[in-house]
Amino acid sequence: MSRHQYAMVMDLNKCLGCQTCTIACKKLWTDRDGTGYMYWNNVETRPGLGYPRQWDRIGGGWKDGSLQPSPLPTMDDYGHAWEYNYEQRLYEGKRQPVMPSPEPKSGCNWDEDVGGMNADANYFFYLPRICNHCTYPACLEACPRKAIYKREEDGIVVIDQDRCQGYRYCIKACPYKKIYFNEVTGKSEKCIFCYPRLEKGEVNACAAQCPGRLRFVGLLDDPESPVHKLVLVHKIALPLFPEKGTQPNVFYVPPFNPPKIGNYGKSIQEDPRVPLDYLTYLFGPEVRDVITRLEAELKKQQEGGRSEALQLLIGRDAETRYRIRPQLVQIQV
Amino acid sequence: MSDKINPKKPFSRRGFIQTAALTAATLALPGCSRKEKPVLSMLTGDFDPLRTYPYRGWEDFYRKIWTWDKVVRSTHSANCTGSCSWKVYVRNGVMVREEQAADYPRINADLPDYNPRGCQKGGCFTEYVYSPQRLRYPLIRTGERGEGKWRRASWDEALTLVSEKLLDNIYNYGPDTNSFFSVIPAMSPVSFCAGSRLAHYIGGVFLSFYDWYCDLPPGEPLTWGVQTEACECADWFNSKYIVLWGSNISQTRIPDAHFAYEARYNGAKIVCISPDYNASATHADLYFRINPGTDGILALGVAKFLIDQDLIDAPYVKEQTDLPLLVLAGSKRFLRESDLKKGGKEDIFYFWDTKQQHAAPTPGSMGSDQKTIQLNGADPALTGTFQVQLANGKTAEVTTVFELLKKELSQYTLDKVAARTGLPAHEIELFAKELGTRKPAMIIHGAGTNHWFHNDLINRSFILLVALTGNIGKNGGGFNHYVGQERIWPEQGFFKLAFPETRKKQRFQNTTLWSYVHSTSKDPHLYNGKPIEWYIQESVKNGWMPLWPKNGKKPRAFIVWRANYLNQAKGNEILESSLWKDLDLIVDINYRMDTTALYSDVVLPAASYYEKVDINSTDCHSYIHPFGKACEPLFESKTDWDIFRALAEKMAEVATKKGLKPFHDDAFDWTRDFTQLAHDWTGKGTIQTDEQAVNFILGNAEETKGMTYQQIQQKPLRFIATDPESWNSDIEQGVAYTPFKHQADKKRPWRTLTGRQQFYIDHPWYIDLGEELPTFKEPVEEKYPLYWNTPHGRWSIHSTWRDHRAMLRLQRGGPIVYMHPDDARKRGLQDNDWVRIHNEVGHCVCRLQILPGEKPGRVTMYHGWEKFLGFKQGGWQSLTYIKIKPTQLIGKYGHVNFRLNYWGPTGNNRDIKVDVEKAKV
Ligand code: SF4
Ligand code: SF4
Ligand code: SF4
Repeated sequence: MSRHQYAMVMDLNKCLGCQTCTIACKKLWTDRDGTGYMYWNNVETRPGLGYPRQWDRIGGGWKDGSLQPSPLPTMDDYGHAWEYNYEQRLYEGKRQPVMPSPEPKSGCNWDEDVGGMNADANYFFYLPRICNHCTYPACLEACPRKAIYKREEDGIVVIDQDRCQGYRYCIKACPYKKIYFNEVTGKSEKCIFCYPRLEKGEVNACAAQCPGRLRFVGLLDDPESPVHKLVLVHKIALPLFPEKGTQPNVFYVPPFNPPKIGNYGKSIQEDPRVPLDYLTYLFGPEVRDVITRLEAELKKQQEGGRSEALQLLIGRDAETRYRIRPQLVQIQV
Repeated sequence: MSDKINPKKPFSRRGFIQTAALTAATLALPGCSRKEKPVLSMLTGDFDPLRTYPYRGWEDFYRKIWTWDKVVRSTHSANCTGSCSWKVYVRNGVMVREEQAADYPRINADLPDYNPRGCQKGGCFTEYVYSPQRLRYPLIRTGERGEGKWRRASWDEALTLVSEKLLDNIYNYGPDTNSFFSVIPAMSPVSFCAGSRLAHYIGGVFLSFYDWYCDLPPGEPLTWGVQTEACECADWFNSKYIVLWGSNISQTRIPDAHFAYEARYNGAKIVCISPDYNASATHADLYFRINPGTDGILALGVAKFLIDQDLIDAPYVKEQTDLPLLVLAGSKRFLRESDLKKGGKEDIFYFWDTKQQHAAPTPGSMGSDQKTIQLNGADPALTGTFQVQLANGKTAEVTTVFELLKKELSQYTLDKVAARTGLPAHEIELFAKELGTRKPAMIIHGAGTNHWFHNDLINRSFILLVALTGNIGKNGGGFNHYVGQERIWPEQGFFKLAFPETRKKQRFQNTTLWSYVHSTSKDPHLYNGKPIEWYIQESVKNGWMPLWPKNGKKPRAFIVWRANYLNQAKGNEILESSLWKDLDLIVDINYRMDTTALYSDVVLPAASYYEKVDINSTDCHSYIHPFGKACEPLFESKTDWDIFRALAEKMAEVATKKGLKPFHDDAFDWTRDFTQLAHDWTGKGTIQTDEQAVNFILGNAEETKGMTYQQIQQKPLRFIATDPESWNSDIEQGVAYTPFKHQADKKRPWRTLTGRQQFYIDHPWYIDLGEELPTFKEPVEEKYPLYWNTPHGRWSIHSTWRDHRAMLRLQRGGPIVYMHPDDARKRGLQDNDWVRIHNEVGHCVCRLQILPGEKPGRVTMYHGWEKFLGFKQGGWQSLTYIKIKPTQLIGKYGHVNFRLNYWGPTGNNRDIKVDVEKAKV
């Protein structure tokens, strides 16, 4: 078990679905050969297909103390990284419109803003996802080569790019499907929680660049960190699919959409535009308490009172949102 | 919550390192109430990767990726209201990535800061710089226009060709046959000025953009006498009631949306009014799924409720608006001094002073000697009918604008409004009540409502709501419109650089009118029984709107830079087959081959946003920050500044070679000696480089006096003051900028005919068309069943990033039209089908996405798609045509006069309708 654990809290009520995090991550880490289709950070509309398609339904993780089976997602499940032949149209006089290739049938953000219907009322929200840097990483356990490890100083889970043999058991084992195979290098790759940045005291690219300012980063075990406060003091952030057994270290402040038409002023318990069962599916049964708590806090503020939890979620500046402690977690390798 | 994980009973035989420090496993974490803990299998070998790992040297692999040689601050010039400061990272001479600079200074400790500003598009601009679309060399067309056949030319050859043509036109057809189009100075004023200076010195016609793109809210010049005034976005946080009306901030205000959602956590309520359940609606407390085109009636219904329930701020209304002003019952004209006294002024107006029981002149109107609107103890009546004695001796009945307004509003009963908007009556009532009581309250306004034909009426109705409730001129309140980066803060410095001999000596032209008249456009509708041509003729004849070139001539040369005219043009097919054909020289200056470049004759490669020196500002924030050269302009490209300087030099050279005599330009009595053009253009040699041009602007504006380019390369700087000629509030330390404090606090007159927020426009055309007051008019009648909605979206800034591979991969790879499942079912359409969208104007073929959030009866395609990408046929503008609203052609009415991008007909497009069918492909 690591001595410290970096964690991230994402407040889904502030997410814009803008994918700046996705691009921040992509341009920094996966702008190399073999990485075109992979998004270590992705943002998906919920309810929805997800990326890769149906990742939440195909298996992996722990049950009764053992790893659960899962198929490997196909390229269609991830979505191809389309290429475009601009030259023929723009410079060669061929007159063919520029078209994506291969023909689009699926994609990493294919069902953006679609969501679900609830008695005629549409509902959706965005779910940004990175590797959860789990306390009990199923990926780590599945690797026969022991090339995946949890950094002892900060709990970040990484794949040794020298020792990985590309067996891909980790991809199957991860219930969040947050490991991707690089066909060019023959290695599996995943989110590294931006350890090179954290080591220099800079917060993760996806957090630093998030204009929604909804990501909070720090050590879960540091009582001063915003993640500690949100998860353990205010108790308004929950992990995704807790029953998959890996104990994620990424937490979410669950979303509440506006009431359905005609129900203005009704409590979320009476009129959940997003069905509470769906939220329970994602975040476990505790979500009901958390949503109720959040709603009460919001009411307090909107009636002129003050909520410490919401004041923290406002996250007025980077100093409030992030507490990166490179000195504390330093280790002699 | 869960039972604790017991650290004394480790679940695997490996045990845990027990350290003094807390570890994740010892914390009582939510969602971990499983009784069963995973049992990690027995590991062979001598290490346990869950505890420790012996081979960590490889970690440098990723560390090395996050390295660079150089960081340069720059930004984007895409007509994006965002205006975000970015750091560009350069490694081995290649621009590898960018990251928000995130160093905007903070306004005060309570307000959330502006960092980081930037979106996903800004985060991958570097990819454009090296993309196949990037223009590398000057090109001259060899095939048909738009065919994409070119030959590479030298700069010398290309510039000579352009120079000769421009000079020929001037001498043979007149300087007004050379037309210049470039948008939005604020996004890169130096680049803008490079070309505007050339237009200025050669007498060319400079075309408008903000009205043409329908981003100008015409209700603002009408009501307030300004172009657009809005608070900076940090001020949203000061609000207690935020109404998102036609503005999908999660998509279109990505760097600023957080202020609204954070304001909510700070106690504001958010109302979202939009036909589609969208990415901003999900954040609202109250969501109104309004019928398209009915926003105006909702606003007027709410106004009626506010007045009926006495939820108005009467002292504010009496002092700050024209609602107490007197109107003659017969003529419907304001009561003027000229009515009461022989030789009286046309621009002095009256209210009924209840204390003195007489009609008293309002202070602060255009003709008033008083430069204040302070009432000095008078108490204007809001209601009532009164008798006044006219100069001709007769008595006349007068009443107040407020009385007339009440009469106008009486038709907008709750039931009628509910029925027309499709909203529940009791929720409209709750909304009105909250708008009247939660203060400060603001409307964040966008293109969703501004792009309708009756946008002026819609604007005026919305402004009315925040005026009645006394919210304008107060932090956290107001009507705040953000569409396009229209406003340049250091305005006076900019004007001096852009049009050195002053704007009086420049030919300006409203583009909507220019494009309509110089093409085969034909609006089939009649307005009060007359075709729009009648109104255009009258307007031009009366000198209300200019129409260049004069005397029925056609424009001959068209120079486009920093813009994508053809792709973005309403009625694009109509223009392509007429106006475009008549032009005999089209020059496009660009860093990428966009649709306009593709359909040009000469294409000149420009430096990208990361290879130039310039500045950038927006009404979304109160800072200035620069463009910088992360690399020298790539390939053979040059900065816009250098391109136009080279063009000026080449024209001078050609003029000298040909021995051209100076040209006398009668319009301005200006003798233009083109052999001296380069000398003139560089300000007699004083402004040679773009950095000098930046410093010229900074040094000549109140907002930025004392700043230099080098300083703002270090850090964005907040404006130090505002020029009272240009702005309506001061910049105050520690306070977010909000407009109209000069009026609300300092009691300075509004910039209107009456010196007040003017809801009553007594211009004869307004009276004839029944629009003297805000009223509701139905969208323009069109035959087809589905509204064609082409809003701004998250994936592009207009056409920029529409053809960007990294962005396309996060969408569906090409243009998509969104349709409600019911509409799709009715037409037998499936998700991802190829569909043909058509109306009597034209058609296009693209893919369908079924979207339950879309409103039935409407289809949406986010705008800006390049015509060459993803459409099997046509494009998104193939279905639109230019439709001019007569009321927007007026001029010479007090504060309502033609001014470039301030007042002139808008290129609206929301009323267009279409049908959709399965395409045969
Ligand atoms: S999310 Fe998946 S890849 Fe990441 S640590 Fe957990 S199991 Fe491993
Ligand atoms: S950058 Fe932030 S706001 Fe945008 S999608 Fe990612 S998490 Fe959401
Ligand atoms: S495109 Fe606009 S919002 Fe995005 S980073 Fe650039 S300036 Fe900011």
